[in-house]
Amino acid sequence: MRYSKDLLAKSPESVLVGLSRTGNSSAFAELVTRRQTWIRNLMRRCCGDSTLADDLSQQVFMQAWRSIRQLHDNERFAPWLKRLAINMWLQHKRRNDPLRAADEHTDTSTSHKDQTSVGMDLDRALATLADEARLCVVLSYHERMTHAEIESLTGLPLGTIKSHIRRGTKKLQEALSAYAETAEEMQ
Amino acid sequence: MNTGHDPKLMALFEEAEAEFDDAAFAEDIMRVIDGQRRRTILMWSTAMLAAIACLALVASPVVTALSMATELLPASLVSIESDWLQKLLAPINSIAAALALSILAIRKFIRWIFN
Repeated sequence: MRYSKDLLAKSPESVLVGLSRTGNSSAFAELVTRRQTWIRNLMRRCCGDSTLADDLSQQVFMQAWRSIRQLHDNERFAPWLKRLAINMWLQHKRRNDPLRAADEHTDTSTSHKDQTSVGMDLDRALATLADEARLCVVLSYHERMTHAEIESLTGLPLGTIKSHIRRGTKKLQEALSAYAETAEEMQ
Repeated sequence: MNTGHDPKLMALFEEAEAEFDDAAFAEDIMRVIDGQRRRTILMWSTAMLAAIACLALVASPVVTALSMATELLPASLVSIESDWLQKLLAPINSIAAALALSILAIRKFIRWIFN
């Protein structure tokens, strides 16, 4: 059955998820439109490369389309999608050898299209962190997840997560101290 | 509970959020999904057609073989003149029974060799 774009745009997310589960691609397209900003920003913070982030985001949504029937609770679409995104990022890191990963890091300065300067500086600062630490910091600050939630999502030990976030915060504070000073001056 | 969250960093993360309202991203994804769906349908259709073609090719020999088997298997090994005795002994006095006994014997022989 076909639904008008306007009707889908007004529908709650759980209804769109239910329709997508029955194979309705228009409903899924509406879900992609609604959730793309969130997933693309999350992937950008994770990998620091806008092109790679968009590629991975695209793969996340395609994976979501393929496995949406496995989602039993329509209300849990957002956390399920976030889990897919993080798994996609972790798989990408596992697939890539260290040399290629190093290339990605060096590319970050050139591949920031449609990024704010704060976003670019933040990504540059995040790039100085190790992959695991970066992921923990992004999930904690960007996604505002608790340590326990990060533990269940990444499978990392709680102590490791805490120390990654503590050290990562310190590093980011040092790298982005100019912003903190400006904010203080503004006040 | 999380501890040690720097509010300034939190604010920077919020400020760094870019707004993506371009329809092209969603359209690209839907184009790829539609392409995959078409490929899947094409693949299944081809497989179904191939299966139907195979069935059509082997249908006639398979039917002939089955009809031969249904005629041959109940045939008596030893002819018995008495009609009721022949019917009574049919389960053991037939090609089917001989085949079944042979299979059981071979199976037992193989097990005896390998155990």
